Amino acid sequence: MGTVHARSLDPLPMQGPELGVQADDMDLGEPEQEEKQEVLENKDVVVQHVHIDGLGRTKEDILTYEVADVFRAKNLIDVMKKSHEARQKLLRLGIFRHVEVVIDTTEGADALPNGLDVTFEVKELRRMTGSYNTMVGNNEGSMVLGLKLPNVFGRAEKLTFQFSYGTKETSYGLSFFKPQPGHFERNFSINLYKVTGQFPWSSLRETDRGVSTEFSFPIWRTNHTLKWEGVWRELGCLARTASFSVREESGHSLKNSLSNTVELAGYTGGDVSFLKEDFEIQLNKTLFWDSVLSTSLWGGMLLPLGDKPSSIADRFYLGGPTSVRGYSMYSIGPQSEGDYLGGEAFWAGGLHLYTPLPFRPGRGGFGELFRTHFFLNAGNLCNLNYGEGPRAHLSKLAECIRWSYGAGIVLRLGNIARLELNYCIPMGVQSGDRICDGVQFGAGIRFL
Amino acid sequence: MSLAAEAFVSQIAAAEPWPENATLYQPLKEDQILLSDSASSLAVQTFLRMCGLPVLVSCRANAEYMSPSGKVPFIHVGNQVVSELGLIVQFTKAKGHSLSDGLDDVQRAEMKAYMELVNNMLLTAELYIQWCDDYTATEISRPRYSSPYSWPLNHILAYQKQWEVRRKMNAIGWSGKSLEQVYEDVSQCCQALSQRLGTQPYFFNKQPTELDALVFGHLFTILTTQLTNDELAEKVKSYTNLLSFCHRIEQAYFKEHDRESQSGSSRHSKGSLP
Repeated sequence: MGTVHARSLDPLPMQGPELGVQADDMDLGEPEQEEKQEVLENKDVVVQHVHIDGLGRTKEDILTYEVADVFRAKNLIDVMKKSHEARQKLLRLGIFRHVEVVIDTTEGADALPNGLDVTFEVKELRRMTGSYNTMVGNNEGSMVLGLKLPNVFGRAEKLTFQFSYGTKETSYGLSFFKPQPGHFERNFSINLYKVTGQFPWSSLRETDRGVSTEFSFPIWRTNHTLKWEGVWRELGCLARTASFSVREESGHSLKNSLSNTVELAGYTGGDVSFLKEDFEIQLNKTLFWDSVLSTSLWGGMLLPLGDKPSSIADRFYLGGPTSVRGYSMYSIGPQSEGDYLGGEAFWAGGLHLYTPLPFRPGRGGFGELFRTHFFLNAGNLCNLNYGEGPRAHLSKLAECIRWSYGAGIVLRLGNIARLELNYCIPMGVQSGDRICDGVQFGAGIRFL
Repeated sequence: MSLAAEAFVSQIAAAEPWPENATLYQPLKEDQILLSDSASSLAVQTFLRMCGLPVLVSCRANAEYMSPSGKVPFIHVGNQVVSELGLIVQFTKAKGHSLSDGLDDVQRAEMKAYMELVNNMLLTAELYIQWCDDYTATEISRPRYSSPYSWPLNHILAYQKQWEVRRKMNAIGWSGKSLEQVYEDVSQCCQALSQRLGTQPYFFNKQPTELDALVFGHLFTILTTQLTNDELAEKVKSYTNLLSFCHRIEQAYFKEHDRESQSGSSRHSKGSLP
């Protein structure tokens, strides 16, 4: 909970005006002063002043919103609860290294007998901080160097520069974030970035230079993000032996899009036009003996607007240790001479049973991070001819389903990432797909 | 051409005969293609017609980026992609079609020398006039080059190309030249070609070679393309044997096909020869 002087919720021994009791004082003092106890929860108090000490470059006007609630507390417990909440709100601004709360009685000429002063002692973050992380994504790893300037102009604005060097992508970007004073959940950010990626499964090389602005705001109980993005996209062949279909897509294009979970590209300019949707659903149920049954469903559709066909960089890809297991990375669906071109519509589903390791070795320790894993994955990816009706699309997605089953071991890394080692048996393989039957290793965050 | 490129091209090419669906890719004819690319493309088309090899012409906005070397035109034959006249001549030779077989070594060396002259003088002059002359660059080159793209990508790509060409001009020492000097160089190049051609129908004997294709490609395009002024075309026109050389090849290889054939009938050009 942090350091709040006035820690105990039990009735405190009254020691005159000094309500800030140190823990060791309390232990010594209790037996002698029991007769003088007064139950303070029911006593009405008035918060007269709230101080914030330790401000340097932070402007006070944004902080008044966060601590305003403390004034409304009516009794001591309420004061402690509200100051705890105010402390959380101050910390979430991301501008303070730590915040301590001191509650004391008021002193001075205008002091009321039941008046309280609440002081927040804060320590601001340094003007510039650097960081170095390694990140693991879906079957790729990267090294990230970051430079952050928190609270640049004093109102919780944040300027970040990040450089990432990874197995699949190299990128750098500059980002500026500004929340609305008083409503931290309403914020906007502007990003400038350049990403270079290599995709050997399509023999494709992609360089994106872009600018995006995002507005976040809460609506009722949900949080919405509206993002406008303009990207200058350059596609090229990764090798001289790339297929001609990939070669045909080389060149420059400008993508201009608005997105809010659903991405609509092309109406604000640019030469790439489409409507893209995708969704993920996952349901888990704990069964007997600590085993968990999990089902997940993914799907997506890309609808080109106008008469230009969809670009290889916007289409969906399927297959790999993090989606339909048993197949090589993104190696399902339309392809040309070994280069996978992606598809405009896909669905994928998985059924998993996770059980603790047999005989539960290392229970309570390292062994708890492992699970055995039985799975059944299925999915399909294809291009749609939008002239036909939805019935034709559904039947197209339902024929030639690729599926696989198998078992393996899962290791959970932190609360985010997972390593898997599975023995997979792919079925329903169509000509052109590349499979990885037998042992397959996967590392990542988002698994089917 | 490096040795490795030659070996690669020959080995793979020799295997199959020339297919019916061989395609040549170039930028969009009406709105996008510039003088230098149009000349190079016409040279390749003329060469293939002289060899009697059928080729379809496909116009793509991203032809320059599709090409393995970044230069247009390129041909897609079977499953090989070959760009630029030099490599294409090599490629067709590996398939058994050649125009310069009848030449002896001395003549072949001479042919190579004249082809280098055309590439170093004429092509460079075309690039200079297109991109280093501010007026032409603003009125013609940048708008045409960037026409398939939307704002602001069109400006970015056009300026990028301009800077690239200007850097190249710097590197070969042409940036110090004035427009007048460039026209002089073109004139001298045409004089050398005119002297070599003399009264013969083609540069070597009575049979056309790749040199004829290259010279025709450049001269015909210069004569039929509307630039900001007519000076370049005038320089070429002053050599009458070059003019009749172009007429001759146009008659022999292009008139016999449809009016829609690729002999430079774009809005950008003035149509057929004066």
